[in-house]
Amino acid sequence: MLAGLHKAFGPTRIIQGVDLEVLPGERHAVIGPNGAGKSTLFHLVSGRLSLDAGRVSLGGEDITGLPPHAIFNRGLARSFQVTSLFPKLSVFENLRAGAMRGHGCGHAFWRALDGYGPLRARAEDVLHQVGLERRRDVLAGNLAYAEQRALEIGVTIAGGASCILLDEPTAGMSRAETERAVQLIRAVSVGRTLVMIEHDLGVVFELADRISVLAEGRVIATGVPDAVRANPAVRTAYLGAAAEALHG
Amino acid sequence: MTVRPTPGLVWRAAVPWMLAGLLAVALPYVLTSGFALSLLCRMAIAIVFALSFNMLLGQGGMLDFGHAVFLGFGGFAALHAMKFADAGVWLPAPLLPVVGALGGLAAALLAGWVATKRAGTAFAMITLGVAELAVAGVLLFPGVFGGEEGVSADRSAGPALLGYDFGSQSQAYAVIAAWAWAAALLMWVYTRTPLGRLANAVRDNPERVSFLGYDPARIRFRVFALSGLFAGLAGGLAALNDEIATSSNMGPEASGAVLLMTFIGGIGLFWGPVVGAVLITLLSVALGTVTDAWQLYSGLLFVAVVVWAPGGIAGVLSAHGPVLRAGRVGRLVPSYAVAAPGLALAVLGVVGLAELAFRLQAVRNGAQPRPVFGFVADPLAWGPWALAVALFVAGALWLRWAAPRARAAWQAAVQS
Repeated sequence: MLAGLHKAFGPTRIIQGVDLEVLPGERHAVIGPNGAGKSTLFHLVSGRLSLDAGRVSLGGEDITGLPPHAIFNRGLARSFQVTSLFPKLSVFENLRAGAMRGHGCGHAFWRALDGYGPLRARAEDVLHQVGLERRRDVLAGNLAYAEQRALEIGVTIAGGASCILLDEPTAGMSRAETERAVQLIRAVSVGRTLVMIEHDLGVVFELADRISVLAEGRVIATGVPDAVRANPAVRTAYLGAAAEALHG
Repeated sequence: MTVRPTPGLVWRAAVPWMLAGLLAVALPYVLTSGFALSLLCRMAIAIVFALSFNMLLGQGGMLDFGHAVFLGFGGFAALHAMKFADAGVWLPAPLLPVVGALGGLAAALLAGWVATKRAGTAFAMITLGVAELAVAGVLLFPGVFGGEEGVSADRSAGPALLGYDFGSQSQAYAVIAAWAWAAALLMWVYTRTPLGRLANAVRDNPERVSFLGYDPARIRFRVFALSGLFAGLAGGLAALNDEIATSSNMGPEASGAVLLMTFIGGIGLFWGPVVGAVLITLLSVALGTVTDAWQLYSGLLFVAVVVWAPGGIAGVLSAHGPVLRAGRVGRLVPSYAVAAPGLALAVLGVVGLAELAFRLQAVRNGAQPRPVFGFVADPLAWGPWALAVALFVAGALWLRWAAPRARAAWQAAVQS
């Protein structure tokens, strides 16, 4: 999926040759210490940042250098670490905006949006899935933080993309909220490929089929959770004390 | 599976439109003077223009400093069509605004192709440049745009339709009002289409839109073109009304005026610009006959709205909707009544100062002091100045004390 990615900001080389393959249908977690380049990696894959070198392919198709909307239209959707919604639109409108492209909505100005039947049904479905049905007509900007995070996931999945990137979906959540978010992610990732950046190792080991560890712009290990946990390079480079705690 | 909107909802949306239509039909029977009719025509044109402006500002997050350019090109296009009609081409007057709309669209396609590649401040600056360019460009081709004098024609010299030649003001009003109503309805319908919603999304968060499969620049371009189309239609209506189009119609002053009226009316609600267009047109005509300072007043009103009521008049009104529906207006009356005299005093003080200042120069040049709202005040004496300042200060202090209480009363009425 990713081959030889490079990205530098001025003299600072953030990504230095990342090779990573995500298998269709798996839940893949990307972990690593702060500044390892995890979010940058997502920006490169989703088209937010342009690559200095390397190739990105999605389901066999080369998507290197495409603009974000073109990448989305090839089946890759992403969420943001810093919540990125439409604050002056209602929760329902946010979800509908997320689902529009996947339901054949172009830029039409001669057709009522309410006339796209399946689109409305899809937005309602996702509304229930993320558990915000009671907040349907509230403006997204007025939601509580955890609700915004849930909506962020909802908007991302509403378009029906086959591959989903979630950037720290549980960041800043309480334990109970995290628990609910894990359930949500598990439910929405059925039948899709999921790649997530996550700091909470509890969440990672609960959800991920495979884990990749990113440190200093390189992937230092990829594998099933137990293998990564046991990997000495990972333990020295990253997990350290956290790994001791996990084993303890 | 098709989901249809419930019939009740359709009716609720249709009622205001039917009322507006009835009002447009009934008004000329109530206000029969030629002055009132031409005022109504001005209002109808301003409504279309302000609504088209808000397609960009309020709904699409695009601040267009040169919106009058599209009004202007629409006007020129319609006037040239009118000249063709005068020369014998079959083009009855009611169809001229369509030509105006096409003129506005053509200009917007050209300007938007550059401007909509960017958003925010960069967009606003490009439109400022486009406005300068357009006015300068128009003066370069006096053969087409008539130079300083502009282009003029006779709307009644074209072919008649069903026996009407549209020469009289009342026939012109019928055409203008009908077009304004239809254009407003179309612009409202647009807000409920995919493009209309995408414009809202692009306003709120263009980056997120690009990660949902749409190119924000393409959305902005389409919205810009549509907005230019309706601004051009307003220009066509103005051409029909005035029978003249000049380059000053598309200048920075006209662009500033539409920004003022749209913002004063309120950019957050569809009908906000309608309120602003009606009010500012009324102010400019009604106050314009009484005082030279009316532009200063509309400027002050604009500043006051920006600072204290960013939602505009429509925003203030709709904030009282829940209170009205709950039948709690009575609770607001005491605290609002306490604040009202303060507001009146402050306004009186400002008016006094403005009028004195405007008189000062005239009196120094030897004119007699004219009465201000019935009072004869000598701007060379210190007494009237002191009185105006005292009124303003007293009003401001009063408001400082009473306004927070009125606000608290409103909040209590909304929440309980």
